[in-house]
Amino acid sequence: MALKEFKLPDVGEGVAEGELVTWHVAPGDEVTEDQVLAEVETDKALVDVPSPFNGTVKELLAEEGDVVPVGDVIITIQEDGDDEEAAEAADAAGSESAESDDADDADGASDDESSSGGRVFAPPSVRRLARELGVDLDAVDGSGPSGRVTEGDVRAAADDDGDEDESSGPRTVQTNGKSATAKRDEGTSASTSASASAPAESADRKQTLAAPATRALAKEEGVDIDAVPATEMRDGEAFVSPEAVQEYAQAQREAQAADAEAVAAEADAGTATAEATGEATSESAPPESGPGAGERVPYKGVRKAIGDQMQRSKYTAPHVTHHDEVDVTELVELREQLKPVAEERGSRLTYMPFVMKAVIAALKDFPYLNSQLDEENEEIVLRDEYNIGVAAATDAGLLVPVVHDADRKGMLELADEMNEKVEKARNRKIAPEEMRGGTFTITNVGGIGGEYATPIINYPEVAILALGAIKEKPRVVDGEVVPRNVLTLSLSFDHRVVDGAQGARFTNRVKELLEDPKLLVLE
Amino acid sequence: MVVGDIATGTELLVIGAGPGGYVAAIRAAQNGIDTTLVEKDAYGGTCLNYGCIPSKALITGANLAHEAGHAEEMGIHADPVVDMSQLRDWKSGVVDQLTGGVEKLCKANGVNLVEGTARFKDENAVRIAHGGEGQGSETIEFEHCIIATGSRVIQIPGFDFGDEPVWSSRDALEADTVPERLVVVGGGYIGMELSTTFAKLGADVTVVEMLDDILPGYESDVARVVRKRAEELGIDMHFGEGASGWREEDDGIMVTTETEDGEENEYRADKVLVAVGRSPVTDTMDIESAGLEADDRGFLSVDDRRRTDVEHIYAVGDVVEDTPMLAHVASKEGIVAAEHVAGEPVAFDSQAVPAAVFTDPEIGTVGMTEADAEEAGFSPVVGQMPFRASGRALTTNHADGFVRVVADEESGFVLGAQIVGPEASELIAELAFAIEMGATLEDVASTIHTHPTLAEAVMEAAENALGQAIHTLNR
Repeated sequence: MALKEFKLPDVGEGVAEGELVTWHVAPGDEVTEDQVLAEVETDKALVDVPSPFNGTVKELLAEEGDVVPVGDVIITIQEDGDDEEAAEAADAAGSESAESDDADDADGASDDESSSGGRVFAPPSVRRLARELGVDLDAVDGSGPSGRVTEGDVRAAADDDGDEDESSGPRTVQTNGKSATAKRDEGTSASTSASASAPAESADRKQTLAAPATRALAKEEGVDIDAVPATEMRDGEAFVSPEAVQEYAQAQREAQAADAEAVAAEADAGTATAEATGEATSESAPPESGPGAGERVPYKGVRKAIGDQMQRSKYTAPHVTHHDEVDVTELVELREQLKPVAEERGSRLTYMPFVMKAVIAALKDFPYLNSQLDEENEEIVLRDEYNIGVAAATDAGLLVPVVHDADRKGMLELADEMNEKVEKARNRKIAPEEMRGGTFTITNVGGIGGEYATPIINYPEVAILALGAIKEKPRVVDGEVVPRNVLTLSLSFDHRVVDGAQGARFTNRVKELLEDPKLLVLE
Repeated sequence: MVVGDIATGTELLVIGAGPGGYVAAIRAAQNGIDTTLVEKDAYGGTCLNYGCIPSKALITGANLAHEAGHAEEMGIHADPVVDMSQLRDWKSGVVDQLTGGVEKLCKANGVNLVEGTARFKDENAVRIAHGGEGQGSETIEFEHCIIATGSRVIQIPGFDFGDEPVWSSRDALEADTVPERLVVVGGGYIGMELSTTFAKLGADVTVVEMLDDILPGYESDVARVVRKRAEELGIDMHFGEGASGWREEDDGIMVTTETEDGEENEYRADKVLVAVGRSPVTDTMDIESAGLEADDRGFLSVDDRRRTDVEHIYAVGDVVEDTPMLAHVASKEGIVAAEHVAGEPVAFDSQAVPAAVFTDPEIGTVGMTEADAEEAGFSPVVGQMPFRASGRALTTNHADGFVRVVADEESGFVLGAQIVGPEASELIAELAFAIEMGATLEDVASTIHTHPTLAEAVMEAAENALGQAIHTLNR
């Protein structure tokens, strides 16, 4: 009959937080085990969160639109009494993750504690409470005698964190968050304008007073502690608090992100065909100053996941893009012939399956284009699978569903699977695992317009092929200018792994197969 | 009859029923965890059976006899006779009462008790060999395990505990006669507690210590009070000498020692007690099979939840590196481990560990010394109260020693305390509490302490640190 807390579970591998999109229950509702409580949007997908208990909803602890870190309690449920055993069993199963979450939360808090190396002036009961609420005691200013940390201080610190999590609009607040992730996200959504503010300027001292934990934090954040602006002077020396380090590191990151954005904005135009509408505002026009300078669109969820991924790719892999044109007149004819046949079999045949077939054949000849760089072990992994991602424009942004083992699938199978997954992606019903494991990505940028693109590699893959539109263009055939169907190809590849010549040869191979699609029969 | 190897399962297996293990088992069971406790010898472990408890029983007996015989100035004339075997039986009665109590508590809390020696089969199972021939064995599978196997006395070359004249601390506590002459190798706290006890019981005691003072690890002004009293009791102390061996003589034994320069000394004795320390017991249970590795001294490293490198296996007590080998540390660690298994947000985050030495007078310490505080970056302020200025101390006729409180000057937070004097082992508790609570000197000084008690000295020491002492001259 206990009141059970339910924490946002880890809804996808490595997902740190999710946006609570819709509540399907309200306080007072009876819920049964496995009943969907809420819909949560994570980095990449919309996920249903089922109830682990039978019972009655007591309280909803997050509002629609809130971004909730994994492990935060989102709902409390009064467990059913008459079905105690079953409920307990369910609870045992359900709370397993909750328990380990607990432990992990607590780990975070106390690791900080132990790294401080000094005394914590707070009674044992308060220290336990801090662990329970995930509050880092070192970062709490005590209001007790001589700065002793009281129960009230810890609760206040925990509430502060909670408040920040709840507000979804533009935020510029910066305090000790529950987790590094939460902090970073806040900072990012607080817009790039912060990079222009004071903390970014380095102080450049020779000596700095700081607690060991603060020094460790600085090291972790990769900032020079002597460069962090001093919080106060102690005994004539500059003293730096952990918050100041966080703030400075944040400002540095934002400055970098701003640079990255400028670069990515150009490059992105190629890959993200869906970028047409409102999103451009958040991308290309960061507000110049404080609140009020323009509409502020939250940078979070899928938008942020795309941004992070693009930034990582562009900053990790040195991109080279190779462009070419293919005369696909024969392919166009072939497809026209096969289209009704496919339709009879219930499939919609686009050009994409042909391109996939050609790409797979070329990848087999040039395995380095289907590889991955394992930097840690200094090895290039030549993948033995051919999992082809197909970039899809959706309302939420660019998603890349993956057709696994594409080399073992027939033309129509490829067509069906791809169509189905792209559809799911557009409806945001695609599961995270359906977007994982890609080894090479194809993106069709021709739909909207333009000739060539410079697509960003879907890291850690090493290459991506962008297709332009098929257009009739004048071509010279046997000494005469005739109209032909021409497709443009733009192949971006990671120059650490693939050299220009190889990239060109790979493209030639794809070209050869698309120019003379009969050859695909041999593949 | 050979009992087959039947595998049973348990949520939590605790190996060792000493103050770490039995406390962990009870706390886990209180939290609804299905708990099994394995013990190969006796409930209560070394502490209850061969350490803290029996030694305190003997010390009480020795103190009583000694004081009764040395109270002429109070007009009390007596010459007590100690019947050593009767004293031993009384002591054993106390031990039995306590160990029986532990067993009952375990059962009452629903802990499954298993007798035998555990060896890991893998990281989720142990094989328990039951004691005695033909008793068979069983396999117990566990989800979590707490290793609480404790420690054993260290033996030194030339002194085999199997030889009758060579005593370990455990043998000394089982003695049914007082040896006429006792050589004690090691002037640490166990050596000094037993030296004092046997001196008071009438033995002619010689202490041989390799270092240049007794009670290494304690500040010299603290050790000095104990050493002075030991001298008064007629204990002969030799420093800078290591015991090298012993031989039978017509009249008892001869213990030989060597100085660093190679100079040899010989001491006549009837018994030689070797008390040079203890080492962790991690070599008897195939910890490698569970994927664990002890360091070169046998200790296991753990995190602040007392988890070993294998996350679902915890270690508590004397087997844990970097925490003192003390029963109360083991118990606290056991509670942390058990509650963590139960999913509670716990950590071993005690700010200070109190310790007591039951010499004459007693020593109680907690937290930082003045030097520790300086090293940790505080500006320490120190307040002291000699027991000579305590009315209650004088009325007990034990006025040697002092209470010292160390605090941070700026904030006033109490950082540590050292007490040497009557009931120091009890008095230290207040200061441990003060440190855990983050109390300031003013908090301690402003708390009314009962008059006339020894505890007033704690308040006075805090006042002294604030420059507000009434009964001592302020610094």
